[in-house]
This record gives sequence, C-alpha cells and structure tokens, in this order.
Amino acid sequence: MSWVGKSLRRKEDDRLIRGKGLFTDDEPADLHLYILRSPYAHARIRGIDTSAAEALPGVACVLTGQDVLEHCDPFMELAPGEAAEIKDYPLARDKVVYQGEPVAAVAAETAALAMDAGQLIDVDYEMLEPVLDAAEALKDEVLVHDNIGTNRTWQGVFEYGDVDQAFAEAAHVVRIGPMHFHRYSSTPLENNACIAEWTRQGTVEFLCNNSFPGFAQQLLAPGLRLPVEKVHIRAYDVGGSFGNKIWNYVYMALAALASKKAGGLRVKWSETRSEHLLASGHGNERSYYDTEVALDKDGVITAIKSRHIDDCGAYTRYEPLGCVIWSQVLPATYKLRNIRIDFSQALTNKCPVVPNRGYSRMQQLWFMERVVDICAHELGIPADEMRLRNYIRDFPYETPNGCVYDSGDYPAMLAKAKELIDWDKWVAYRDQARAEGRYVGIGIGTTLDSGTNNFGQAQIMNPQLPFSGNSEACIIRLDFDGNVVVTLGTGPSGQGHETAASQVVADELNIDPAMVQVRTGFDTAWNTYVGHSGTYASQFAVTGLSAVHGACQKLKAEMRKLAAFVLEAAEEDLEFGVGEQGPEVRVKGTDQFMNYWALANLVNNNNAVLDESLADVTLNVRHVYRPPFKVPDVERKFGNLTLTYASQLHIAVVEIDPDTCHAKILAYAAVDDCGTVINPQIAHGQVHGATAHGIGAAIMESFDYDEGGNLLTSTFSDYCPITSMNIPDVVYGNIQNPSPFSYSGAKGMGEGGGAPLHTMSAAVQDALHGAGIIITDSFVSPPALHRMLQAPNREQAVSVD
Amino acid sequence: MYPAPFRYHRAESVAEAIGMLSELGEGARALAGGQSLLVLLKIRFDEPTDLVDLARIPGLDAIEQRDGEVRIGALATHARIARSEIAAAIPIVRDCANGIADNQVRSRGTIGGNLCSGDPSCDWPALLTTLDAQVHCEGPAGKRSLPVDGFVEDLYATALQEGEIVTGVSFALPGPGSAGAYVGFKRCAPAYPTTSVGVQLTLSGADCVDARIALGSSGLTPIHATAAEAELRGQTLGEAVIRRAAEAAVAASDPIDDQRGSPAFKRRLIDTLVRRGIDVARRRCAGEQVEVSHEYY
Ligand SMILES: Cc1cc2nc3c(=O)[nH]c(=O)nc-3n(C[C@H](O)[C@H](O)[C@H](O)COP(=O)(O)OP(=O)(O)OC[C@H]3O[C@@H](n4cnc5c(N)ncnc54)[C@H](O)[C@@H]3O)c2cc1C
Repeated sequence: MSWVGKSLRRKEDDRLIRGKGLFTDDEPADLHLYILRSPYAHARIRGIDTSAAEALPGVACVLTGQDVLEHCDPFMELAPGEAAEIKDYPLARDKVVYQGEPVAAVAAETAALAMDAGQLIDVDYEMLEPVLDAAEALKDEVLVHDNIGTNRTWQGVFEYGDVDQAFAEAAHVVRIGPMHFHRYSSTPLENNACIAEWTRQGTVEFLCNNSFPGFAQQLLAPGLRLPVEKVHIRAYDVGGSFGNKIWNYVYMALAALASKKAGGLRVKWSETRSEHLLASGHGNERSYYDTEVALDKDGVITAIKSRHIDDCGAYTRYEPLGCVIWSQVLPATYKLRNIRIDFSQALTNKCPVVPNRGYSRMQQLWFMERVVDICAHELGIPADEMRLRNYIRDFPYETPNGCVYDSGDYPAMLAKAKELIDWDKWVAYRDQARAEGRYVGIGIGTTLDSGTNNFGQAQIMNPQLPFSGNSEACIIRLDFDGNVVVTLGTGPSGQGHETAASQVVADELNIDPAMVQVRTGFDTAWNTYVGHSGTYASQFAVTGLSAVHGACQKLKAEMRKLAAFVLEAAEEDLEFGVGEQGPEVRVKGTDQFMNYWALANLVNNNNAVLDESLADVTLNVRHVYRPPFKVPDVERKFGNLTLTYASQLHIAVVEIDPDTCHAKILAYAAVDDCGTVINPQIAHGQVHGATAHGIGAAIMESFDYDEGGNLLTSTFSDYCPITSMNIPDVVYGNIQNPSPFSYSGAKGMGEGGGAPLHTMSAAVQDALHGAGIIITDSFVSPPALHRMLQAPNREQAVSVD
Repeated sequence: MYPAPFRYHRAESVAEAIGMLSELGEGARALAGGQSLLVLLKIRFDEPTDLVDLARIPGLDAIEQRDGEVRIGALATHARIARSEIAAAIPIVRDCANGIADNQVRSRGTIGGNLCSGDPSCDWPALLTTLDAQVHCEGPAGKRSLPVDGFVEDLYATALQEGEIVTGVSFALPGPGSAGAYVGFKRCAPAYPTTSVGVQLTLSGADCVDARIALGSSGLTPIHATAAEAELRGQTLGEAVIRRAAEAAVAASDPIDDQRGSPAFKRRLIDTLVRRGIDVARRRCAGEQVEVSHEYY
C-alpha cells in the first residue's frame, strides 16, 4: 500500500483553519514601524525634517537615509559591470527612484502612532523627469542611478544553431512587430511582515515571512555589517508568496536598524495592501522587438531571432537573474534548433520587479506561444495542427542551450485537453458563430514549469557569483518516546509540505502518515536548512521530498542495524510495519519485533546493553539532497539549468461581446503533467490556483503608470485581483510522465508557467484575427480589447514573405 | 491603514445627531456603515476631528410601503433592502441592492451613506434618480425633502447643509405597466461599476407613456438622462427609437478616464447598457421574470 499518490487530506489544514498558524503579524512586538514613502517616481531629496515626528510622545526613533548610511552597507548586487555599483539601501538617501520607495521610517509604541508621526515628517523634494519605458531607458538620457552612468543592467546574446542559414533556406519568413508582456504580480493573502530584534549579544533575531530565508540571510548579514552567523531567521507559516516574498529582506533590514536605534526593542513591520501593490515588487515586464521567424513549407518553425528588453524597475535585487532564467525554456515546447535572442534589461522609475509565479520563463513561453499562433494564423494552419507539427516529441530532450527536458508528451496533453473540452463541438460552434459575424475563438496554451533550478546559471549572468547547484535538507529522528519527527528547511505558503512529507515517510517506514510529525518552517536555530532552503521555483516535490526520502534511508539503516542486534536477526530478514504496539521493525515471518519506543529506548535510555558496533547509531539523521548539476558553460550559455520540466496545456473558448468587449470564457480545460503525483488533490489545487491567477493576469490585473510615474493601480479598487465570480469552471485533467531524474518521478509544479495568459491571448487572437487583430500584448481586458477593436493592427503587426 | 486620531460620538436620536454635528462643526462627519467613510479615513484622504455615529438611532432603518409610497430609512443596509419585500415587488431595486459590492459591504453599507458619499460611482443615487425619489433631510433648520435629482451636486459634494442628515428616501410605487431595470458592467464584485444604467418605463402595449433613465459612474455626478427619456416618451419602442435614446444617453454622459476604461470605452458601455436596460424593463412591463444585475468580467 502506498500513500504517495493518494489524496490524503492536508494535515496542516486543521491547524490553519483553527487560527493556530504561526504567522508573523500574530506575534506581539514592542514597537511598530511605519514607512514614509516617496510620492514621486523620480526626485531629489533636498532635506528631511523629522523633528516634529521625533517629538511625538510614544515615538522611539525615526530613521532616514542618514541612518542607513551610518549603519548599513548597500545590499550585494548580483549584476556584473556597472549595475554592480547600484547602491541599494533600505531607505533612499539623496534621491528617490520610484513611487513608493521608502524615505523614512518611524518606530513607535503603536502602529497608528507610528503612522501619525510619519505624517509629521517633512521631506523637501525636487522633482526630476522619470524614465518609464525600458526601451527609452536604454538610451540613457534620464538615469535612474546616476552613479552607474547607464540604465542597462545586463545584455547578452543567446545564439544557438545556424540562424542565418535557417533563414536563407526558409520557405516562409514571418516578421512580427513589437510585443509586450504586461506588469502584474501576485496578491498573497498575507502581505509582507517581519519582526526584528537587535539583541544585546549583537545578534539580530528575525521572525518573518520571507520565502527564501537562506538567501535573505546571506544578503542581510553584509548589509547590516554582521557576520552571517549573527543573523537568525525564523519563518513558519506564510500566507502565500508566489516568489514575491523572496526580496522582503530589504524591510527586514529596516526593522533591524530600527531595533538597533531603539535600544534592542522588538520592532514589527506589517505591510498594508496598498504598500504591497505600490512597492512590494511587481512581476517582470518584457518587450519583444524585431521578431523574425523562419518556417519550412509545412509550417515547421526552423529559426527565430528577436530582441527582448526586460524592465526591472528601479532596483535590481534578484535581478538580473531573470535575464538568464528565461532560457530554461528557451525553445518552449518546440523543436526548433536555431535561435538568436538578444536580451537586455533596463532600469526604469517603477517599482522593482521580484520573482513572481512563472518567473521570467512565462514571459518567454508567452512570446513563443504568440509566435506559434501568429504564424499559424498567417499561414492558415489550425492552431492544434501547428503545435503538433512543432512539438518536441522525444525525451529526455536536450534543448539547443543544453537544458534537458526530462519527460513529457505534449501531443497526448493536447489530445486529452481536446477531449475534455469537447473540441469538435466548439470548433463547429466557433465556425457557426463566425458565419454570423460573432467573435468566438479557441486558444491553446502550452507551457512549461521548469523546477529545481541549477543556481550555476547565475554564473551565465555573472561569472563571479559563488552559487551553483541546488539542495535541500531534512532531519528525521526517532524520538525517545518513539515518535517519528521530520524537520524541513522549507516554510510552506500553501503547498501542503507537512502532508506530502508525511506521505513519503509513511511509505518508507510502512506506517500511517498520522504517525509522522512534520515540523516545517525555516529556523536557523532549531530547524535544519541549507543555503537554498525555501519555497520557490517549483522545487519542493523534488528537492524537499528527496531530502526526506534520503533521510528515511539513513534512519532505516540505523533502525535495521539496531533491531538486528537486539532481535539477533539478519538485517535482510527485517521488515518495517505497524503491529499491535504501533510502528515496529520485525523479523519477517515470526512474532519477533521491536516497536519504535523500544528501539529508541535502547539508544536514549538503556544503552549499556548495546554493542560497540552501534556506537554511531543516534536515530537522528540529516540528509542533504543535491541534484546532479554541473556549472554551465558560461561562454556558450550552455548547460542544464533545471532538473524537471512539468508541463501544462490549457484550452479556452471565448466569445467577445462586441458591446462590452469582454472575452467571456465559454469553456476552459487544463491538463497537467507533473510526473508522478504525490497528492492528487494538492496538485489539482495548484492547477486551479495557477489557472485563476493566470486568467486574472490576462484580463484583470495590470500595474499601470501614468506619464509622471504614478501608479494608477495601488488599491484593490483599481488593481482587481480575480475573484471566485470571475473564474470559469475549469475542467481538469492529468497525465503522468514520471521524471527520470527525481527518485519518485515527481516534478515541481507550483508555478503553472502562466498557461492561461498564453491561452487567453491565443483564444482572443483566434476570435479577432478575422477582424484584423493580432494580439501583441498579454493584457486582454475589455478596455484593452476595445482599443484593439478601434484600431486593428494586423497591417503593422505582422508580415509574411 | 490607520485613520488619523478622531473623537467618536454615538447619537441616540436624530435630534442628538443634528445637535452634535452642528456643534462640532466642519471637522465632524456622520458615520453610518463606514463603507465609504472609513475607507477614506484609513488611507487618510480625509482626517475629520469627530465622527458622529448614526448607526444606533432607532427606527432609521425601516423599509415600508404605505399608500402607494415606498419609504426606506437612511440606515437600511444594501443587504436588508435586497432581502426586503420591496425588492421582491420592485425588481429594479433588487437589481441595484444585489449588485453593490460583496456580502461584507452590503451587510454594513447603508442607502443613506451611499447617497451622502456624493460618489458618482455609487449605485443608489442613479437608481433613486431613475425612480424619481425624494430625499428626506433633517437639520438645525428643521425638516425638508429634496428631489434626488441634483442632490449630489458635484464630486463628493451633496446638497446637505452643515449639521443636516438624511433620514430616508421615498418614491412612488411603480404603477401597473411600469417596470424598470438597473444594469451595470464591472470588473469584479468588490470593485465599483465601470458604468451603470437605470431605466424605468411605463408602457401601454409597445407605446412608451413615460421613461426615466439615469446613469451611474458616467461622469462626476449621477446623470439624469432627460434627453434620452424624451426620445422614448410618447414613442412606440422600436429599434430606431431605442438607438436614439441610447445615443442621447451617451451624449449626456461625461465619463472620466481611469482604470475602468477610457471615456470611449465607457460610452460604448453606456450605449449597450441603456439598450439592455430598456430591453429588460420592457420585458418586465410585459410581466416576464428577468434576473439582471451587474455583469462581471
Ligand atoms: C470594496 C467596496 C466596494 C464597493 N462597491 C460599491 C458598488 O459597487 N456600488 C456602490 O454603490 N457602492 C459601493 N461601495 C460603497 C458602499 O456601498 C457604501 O456602503 C456606501 O457608499 C456608503 O454607505 P455607508 O453606510 O457605509 O456610509 P459611511 O461610509 O458611513 O458614510 C459615507 C458618507 O456619508 C455620510 N453619511 C452617512 N450616512 C449619512 C446620513 N444619514 N446623513 C448624512 N450623511 C451621512 C458620511 O458622513 C460619509 O461622508 C463599495 C464599498 C467598498 C468598501
């Protein structure tokens, strides 16, 4: 009997639903931090007067750029070259570079008081011209960071195969005008939060909801001028992250400085929703220029060349990693071998970007899906047929840039999705509707969720970076009382790590998952962790569970050794299971057994009976899982960048109401292949969540700035995340092509790769192609479609030779 | 997230509320459900010195129908109105009450507060204009009743005088042959409509005896589309007549450019919603049961 593969009810739900989660904002603190933010996108700070704020009773301290200069060093930059000189501090110093940038902070006895005091701070600004468009920014006429002399953070050409020859031999060349992937993000239920205490011992104790604390620790320590071992981080339950919470270390540093200035009192910062939307980090915005596609006479794409400009906002932070991360999925699901993409990234006076579900890859996948659909429409090839002609079919598949797609079956996913949605019926419906002059379209979106990344890819971006590989740790122990206790380095944000880890352990020990206690959460003092520990980049099913699995093997080896000694049996004759006295190790085919308590008692209590040969047995073992990665070839930008490639295929049928311009979803199917499924219900939930998120991104969620750099969507009245009433019924299907590279065949699958964005763009394109419209922007809200219907763009957007 | 400090007062009667508001002066605000006011205070768009809470004043939330007149107390919440017999009897009222925001907001927000916010995105002012309602006010100078048309004078500004509050609204029970519809288009439940339209028709067969049309979220105040009404009144409802009415309504609108859409997009929606409203109102006049409210993305 196997627990893996069962829809075991989530173990953590009871605790979470009863309000017994361990969330940061639930913890008390001595002081509360309010952050005064810049109202301007770009302005010089001529002076700050904090005297009135400081004089308010109940205010402990006020921090400005002067304090950060005195007590901090700029955060480490990942970028090479000029961008390495960007000075990123927790507060602006002489200049603000995006609306919402922290300018001053007040720590006071209550949050309301801190805000009152914050309003008394007088900042004298001199407004400057902002630069808001990435292509414009690359002209370096207005500089975001004056000291680096450029807005370009990175540039590189990713070239593989023989592009020129492929174009010379092409039967068709399709040229596509500028395209744009819009700015949006995730809206986790829980905003960013942290509590910091700068102790008398000189350590800093953090409780936070950072989703990659191993990384945060390495950035915070030098930033705060502390040795890394003095930075202690705890992060337990996290109310959603989607990657966004990777970078909240900036605020953690600010809270720590406030604690230091306030004499070591515990300082809490809890972000408001408006702050989150304005300044917590947006997803990467990307533009695509000069796209040319070579195809053979059958519509098989043989080559692509294009120029991509990524907009990273005002600071680099996790960037310019995104300049390489997209290349994990360079050819998307397609078999072309000749590719040249000139990739640059620009700073602008907008909110900095942060990793966001599908980070940097969905921008590439969306681009490739647009290319495929536009070529299909222009050459008159049906979208499904076009995909079948171009899909990669043999696995493992090495992409032109050396990534290895582990397994998959895209044609089978397409067939399944067509069956689920009732394809033929909708094609007939569409054709009929079209004959009546209605706008009905069917769109396919194929996407990849590359998981467990090889941090060595950072060296393609900057060869000096000391990162490579990936890892996760697990400790499993058999306690004195006979309990099996598992500790993990990950702080889950809704993925059900407790449940999945219990399922794995239960299978290994042949016990019930209820008998396994799982301690999730990142805790530098009490839990186990490695530098890669965290919940991001679709990796827990592989890194986390492989660590759990490996630790189980070590524990079992010890338990066997111990039991064999006491039961005077050969290790091969032992088996694990549950007997009348609970979990046990027993001699096969006999009534001889040791239950867990008895085994643990031997090590912890009654150990004089043990033999010398058992001296190493502790029943408390740690395993670090390391995927088999190599450092990529930096020169050629070549190597395996991720271990697993889950895939999703979505189909949407939409009808655009010419009166409201709303692309109403008439039917929606989502097929997922994440290899061996650990817990079908959890996987299904992830697919639903990612689908909702992506549909929201496609039709509702966009961060829009006016010409002055003011964010127009900084509240939920303006930035409307998708609600249950907007989500169509999603027909779900699953196929399983196990990964040959993970012990269980599982693949990470938390990101969904933005499949609905590709799917909605494709469906709307299908509906409107006849009206002379090419979808060149990922945001297809009713106002956006209205604009397109007013000005059909096909003439300018595409040409075919 | 935290309002600036203010003093809180609870009024036990209308007279006490008026007394407090007059005495406290300009910096004081009446507080009903808080669903508009508290939002502004939390983002510190408004920093009043005093709040006078009306919520406990007895009797101010009554919903009643007497002698052909419907009277709704200022403190009646959207949710209670939606569940009331009045809403069951007058579908246009149900359309509006059910279409406002989500359950949480409907459970706390009141019709009086909605009207007094002076917010052009609010639904009740447009609906009440469609029904030619009266607004009943009471202030230091005594009681008065005003037509709802014109009550919202400008963006966030109403005809209320200092110390004056709204105690309720009233309108005539639509007679036989009269029915209406309130339709809107919005992004999601908790967002304000992109635009909304109220239509009330009185028909004799296909002939339009009377018509009222009002627009919400279509300008800086609720808009009474009188020219559109004139296109319908006395006419047989046919395609050309309806088109002219929709065009007149669009001409009367003055939508702003915001995250909900461009003026051109909103005008297209207004045109659509006027037609939809007329269609539903007409079918309801004919006795058909039609469920409408806002259409979501
Ligand atoms: C997320 C969200 C979405 C919303 N969506 C919609 C929507 O789609 N459509 C819609 O119509 N509304 C919407 N609203 C607004 C909501 O309907 C409010 O309930 C309503 O606008 C205000 O009523 P209230 O009782 O809450 O008034 P309050 O917020 O308490 O007061 C509002 C204003 O009116 C004044 N006031 C209140 N009562 C009186 C009175 N009796 N006499 C004099 N002055 C008074 C107050 O001083 C204040 O200035 C939304 C609100 C939120 C928070």
